[in-house]
Amino acid sequence: MKNNSSGSSYLLFYGINNKDLSTKERYRCMRNSMLIAMLAITLIPMAIISGINFTQFRKHLQNESYTNTRLSMENARAATNAYMEKTKAAITLVLESHTFEELADQQQFDQIFRQLKEEHPGLVDIGLIASDGIQITYAGPYKLAGKDYNNSLWFHKALTRKIYVSEVFTGFRNIPHFVIATSKKGSTAAPDYWVLRASIDSDTLDHFLASGNTGALEDIFLINDSNKLQSSSRYHGTVLEDFQLRNKPKHDEIVISEEGKNGGFYRAVTRIPYTPWLLVLDHQGYVQRGDWQSFKRGLMLTLISCSLVFGCFILLFSAFIAGKIRESDEMRDALLSETEHNNKLASIGRLAAGVAHEINNPLAIIGEKAGLMQDLIEMDHDFHYREKFIRQLSSLQDAVGRARTITHRLLGFARRMETSLTLVHLNDIIREVFSFLEKEAAYNNIHILLQLQKELPVIRADHGQLQQVVLNVVNNAIDAIHNDMVATDNATEEISNEGEILVTSQCEDNKTVQVIISDTGPGMSADTMKKIFEPFFTTKGNAEKKGTGLGLSISYGIIQKLGGKIEVNSEIGVGTTFIISFPVYSERSENNGNN
Amino acid sequence: MEIIKILIVDDEIEFGSTLAERLELRGFSVKAVSCAEEALTILKSDWLPQLVLLDLMMPGIDGLTTLDLIKKHDPRIQVIILTGHGATESGIIGMKRGLFDYLMKPVDIGELVSKINEACKS
Repeated sequence: MKNNSSGSSYLLFYGINNKDLSTKERYRCMRNSMLIAMLAITLIPMAIISGINFTQFRKHLQNESYTNTRLSMENARAATNAYMEKTKAAITLVLESHTFEELADQQQFDQIFRQLKEEHPGLVDIGLIASDGIQITYAGPYKLAGKDYNNSLWFHKALTRKIYVSEVFTGFRNIPHFVIATSKKGSTAAPDYWVLRASIDSDTLDHFLASGNTGALEDIFLINDSNKLQSSSRYHGTVLEDFQLRNKPKHDEIVISEEGKNGGFYRAVTRIPYTPWLLVLDHQGYVQRGDWQSFKRGLMLTLISCSLVFGCFILLFSAFIAGKIRESDEMRDALLSETEHNNKLASIGRLAAGVAHEINNPLAIIGEKAGLMQDLIEMDHDFHYREKFIRQLSSLQDAVGRARTITHRLLGFARRMETSLTLVHLNDIIREVFSFLEKEAAYNNIHILLQLQKELPVIRADHGQLQQVVLNVVNNAIDAIHNDMVATDNATEEISNEGEILVTSQCEDNKTVQVIISDTGPGMSADTMKKIFEPFFTTKGNAEKKGTGLGLSISYGIIQKLGGKIEVNSEIGVGTTFIISFPVYSERSENNGNN
Repeated sequence: MEIIKILIVDDEIEFGSTLAERLELRGFSVKAVSCAEEALTILKSDWLPQLVLLDLMMPGIDGLTTLDLIKKHDPRIQVIILTGHGATESGIIGMKRGLFDYLMKPVDIGELVSKINEACKS
């Protein structure tokens, strides 16, 4: 898989072990992975529980709304039925309690109408119709006496049934109304059958249905099988307008369906017995209920706030953990690197010791042979090339001397000699070294400044070795500044400025004593800094014939042996600072060390 | 003035013989041998040295054991170890067993002569 190191196109979890990514990106990847994993662990269960809660509560509300719809419909149907039965009973009573002759009498008929009207305000008129369809008597606001209803459907249905309720229609009156007609078989003096008809304004149905409406009801109205509204609807129009109803019950059962978007409302439909009407009731769905809305708001608020709180906490926590892991990794890498460096130096030391020993013996033979030759020639004053031979042999002895210096230093670097540990005042060591090098530094136009902390705690170390360490570092500083000044002089053909070496001693937290040696030399590159403690590494060159490359490596070994630490900071063109630290001596630390 | 007798014990024969010659030029009476056994033979002879220059690492009996044998034979004989080996621990051990000094090869002849004189005076 290819990785885009600049963006986030790589897979998050893949990136952790991807060597192609930079360290920073790998740790970012790890932090993101932890973030995602922890978010998933916390938020997914929370989302699942919320989802279950949401579904169960909705189901509960749905069931409740469904049950309420059914109950409302049963009540509304019972009320409508009772109303129709009461009205039909009133009409039937008139028919049964009067003879044809009495009803055919206009005055009595008007009287009956007035009584009925008081009891049923929606009553528009009543009429008595003979079996031939001719209206014999009529009481009401219209002039309909003598009207022929032989072609009216309701009339024939009334004749065939004992009582008949018609659909709402406009008829001769041109207003929406319905008819309740009841028929009776006549006596010998009367026609075969006669019909008492009552016309009732459809507004009566509107008022009646509206009176049963509650807050939870959206709408309640009547329709017929021809999909014409039989009463006015709040949302679907007025009486006799078209209304499409999908699920119609065949008998007197209640059919309930969920209508509207996301269960907006429940529609219950049922038939009113012995009428051509279907009662339609729209009941408020759970979606519009206040408790559902407040539940949803509460749930969302909880989810969002929990997600934000968890998100922030997890973000901070994963960044903290990733940071700690990175810190620990870096510390481990540094320790490994230091151990590797120490091992490398130790190996080089052992190798150097072996080499030095093997070289010393042949070197001694060369030295002795050359020495003998020199002795013999010096004794022979007649030898023609005496002077020349003496010069050559002196050079040979010098070379042996140089080689001896190198091998002795090599052995000094490598050996594990017993050190003579005493309590040492670091300031005394610095002053002694200063006295050795003061003149040489002054000769090279270099000032050595001492800033020594008074009453510095003592350390336990070998006096001579410690002197050697400080001497090596200060000597290197003098050489570095001197060489830099010579190089500058050669380049500019002018006398350059003076150099400066600042030697500071200080105590840190009463645990560590430090000597800090800063110079104003040319500084070192990062590459050079990595190698300066390795044996034979030198920046002094051969021209001066003084750089063996062992001074700092020996110093390093001594400092390590004394339980100290040496660090170097350098910047090219600014200078170099060596910080040498030793643990402060205390009886307690001594006992711990012994243990 | 009595001539100082010096015995050189070193497995590097070239080194021992050359050094012997140089010391003889400086007025010493010197014999060079290449091992401890030969050195003990010399010690048992009439020619008894005042000082032995002893190598540390030799095949057979090593320098420190030879030192013990010399001191056992005659504790007055001074011994200076002359070695190319850098382990100064051996030098310290030797000092504890009566060694006069410990010098590293290659050694400057002037320094060696002054050590010999110093040893013989003590």
